[in-house]
Amino acid sequence: MSLMDALPTPRLRWEGWHPNVVLVSLSLIMLAAFWLLDVVSMAPNRIVLGTGHGALEAFGWPGALLATLLLSFIGILACQPTHRHYRALFAAVIVIMALMPVGLMASSYLLIDPEMPQARLGMGAAYWVVLFVLLLCLVELRLRLNLTRIWPTLWLCGVALVWWLCAAFGLETLALVQEFKARDQQFLSAVAQHIKLVGIAVSVSIILGLALAMLMRRYARLQKGAFAVLNFLQTIPSLALFGLLLAPLAWLAANVPFLAQLGVSGIGTTPALIALIGYSLLPIVRNTYTALEQVSFDTLEAAKGMGMRAGQRFWQVRLPLALPVLLEGVRITTVQAIGLTAVAALIGAGGLGTFIFQGLGQAAMDMVLLGALPILMLALVVDAGLGALAEALRPGGTR
Amino acid sequence: METRVSNSLSAAQTHKKAPQWLWPLLWGALLMMSVFAMSAAESLFRWIEPDARQVIYDRAGFVTLLGRHLFVVGIAAVVTIIVGVAAGIAVTRRWGCDFLPLVAQLASLGQTFPPVAVLALAVPVLGFGTLPIIVALMLYGLLPIVRNTLAGLQGVEGDIKTAAHAMGMKPTQILCQVELPLAAPVILAGIRTSVTINIATAALGATVGASNLGDPIISGIVNGNMAYVVQGALTIALLALTIDSLFEVLQRQLRARISSA
Repeated sequence: MSLMDALPTPRLRWEGWHPNVVLVSLSLIMLAAFWLLDVVSMAPNRIVLGTGHGALEAFGWPGALLATLLLSFIGILACQPTHRHYRALFAAVIVIMALMPVGLMASSYLLIDPEMPQARLGMGAAYWVVLFVLLLCLVELRLRLNLTRIWPTLWLCGVALVWWLCAAFGLETLALVQEFKARDQQFLSAVAQHIKLVGIAVSVSIILGLALAMLMRRYARLQKGAFAVLNFLQTIPSLALFGLLLAPLAWLAANVPFLAQLGVSGIGTTPALIALIGYSLLPIVRNTYTALEQVSFDTLEAAKGMGMRAGQRFWQVRLPLALPVLLEGVRITTVQAIGLTAVAALIGAGGLGTFIFQGLGQAAMDMVLLGALPILMLALVVDAGLGALAEALRPGGTR
Repeated sequence: METRVSNSLSAAQTHKKAPQWLWPLLWGALLMMSVFAMSAAESLFRWIEPDARQVIYDRAGFVTLLGRHLFVVGIAAVVTIIVGVAAGIAVTRRWGCDFLPLVAQLASLGQTFPPVAVLALAVPVLGFGTLPIIVALMLYGLLPIVRNTLAGLQGVEGDIKTAAHAMGMKPTQILCQVELPLAAPVILAGIRTSVTINIATAALGATVGASNLGDPIISGIVNGNMAYVVQGALTIALLALTIDSLFEVLQRQLRARISSA
């Protein structure tokens, strides 16, 4: 103890003026991106790569000035980081995000010749960078303001609504909107198919995983073997696993008529589901097992002392206490399955991956975006939703 | 008493040393067999795909494909390891700690980005070919490394650092001689995850015009030739298993060295 006292104590780093360095640098990055990169790109038709336009051409002098003011506002407020300023910053970030589609409308008005019905507007690199950095600002502000995940997510949903409204009324020239309008039925059914595949795979692997974890707790020998097999499975690349399943399933479908009647075939939903379930089992089983094992012995002993029977102890004590970690496993699995289902489009399982691979095949980048952006959003929404659920279910409240 | 325990531990580990190279050698040998002697198994592939005109993928040799695959994964791995570990170190120093919460959040958030989506988003910016796949691999492989570097460095106990400080070590010395060696197993685990994921993701590069081991799979699926698919899938799976088992051995040796030191 005396040695610790003898050491020089670390001084407080900031004395007096202490700006939030993170937000200031993020604001500078956004300003640099806005002025140096292409804000929008304009293409005469679907296949031709667009030509980029800078801030002045896209928004005109007044628009560019307004955007610069808004972006520097973040940096200026962050120089005096009080709680009130953080709240104002949060509001500013949300407002900027909601104004972004309006900016696109302005540049479509300025740049697109109404004589050219095929012309389309694309969001340039600056738009993506600013959008991404604004999300980073939100993450930083959420941490500084000590908010739970649910509020920023709700606000982002509001922003998404604004984007959607703008896209529906007044942004017909945006490439993404045109791409969507050309195949809206197909898009909706692809989203439905994607969610269906993920839902089936995750729910089946939750049931299987729970059963497997229970069995593992009973038979210790099973535990080592099962984990070895599941770990091995995760090492095999998804594309390879999908490929390797094609051959035996095609053979089964050709030689066992009963299975063919059930819908088993080499290409399509069956191999996709088998591979997805195989991949999903490991995170579920691992988290379920550790969740059930980590419940403290004393708590269980106390429950026993209160006269609870084995079944009651499991359902009323062990399972509720294990639930947050268990849900964490479900979250990881679902997010992973959303990404893997995109790959499954290659073997004809459908889903949003279809757009990605078709778009890549036709060199139509807007179609690729039409597939990739919803997948990304789906993953983020599921992640935030299940994360918030796990936070809420944690014993003793959220914090 | 202490020394006897550690002696018996290391004795047990040297006893186990013989079989620990077994798996990498086995998988590596199978990989080499599949790369060099794929055409020897022609009759087998003929049995899978009896009607096809050709059953062995021949648009590029499997050795070339393997080389390209390793090249892409290797470049991405080197860059991600340097950048990821540097970022992890930077935000745990006193001058960079303002960025710690953001980077930590980002590293866990980044796991939610599906690799296919990242790859698809890289193509419009970078065009077709090998470049987008390398960039996508870098972005995607960075996050496990950053996350594990953070976890490893934060896992070093404060008392140990205080002791090192009291011994008169400078901050750089503490970092290089105390913190990094203690965090090494966790960092290595992150590198292992990153590289394993990247081997799988690189195969997807075949869909954006990069030629690698994903090529036979994609062209097999497109042309309905199951034999191609099996060849590509088998080689990628063996490559992934070889690299993963190599990392397993590395990790075990690192752990043995730390526990014996």
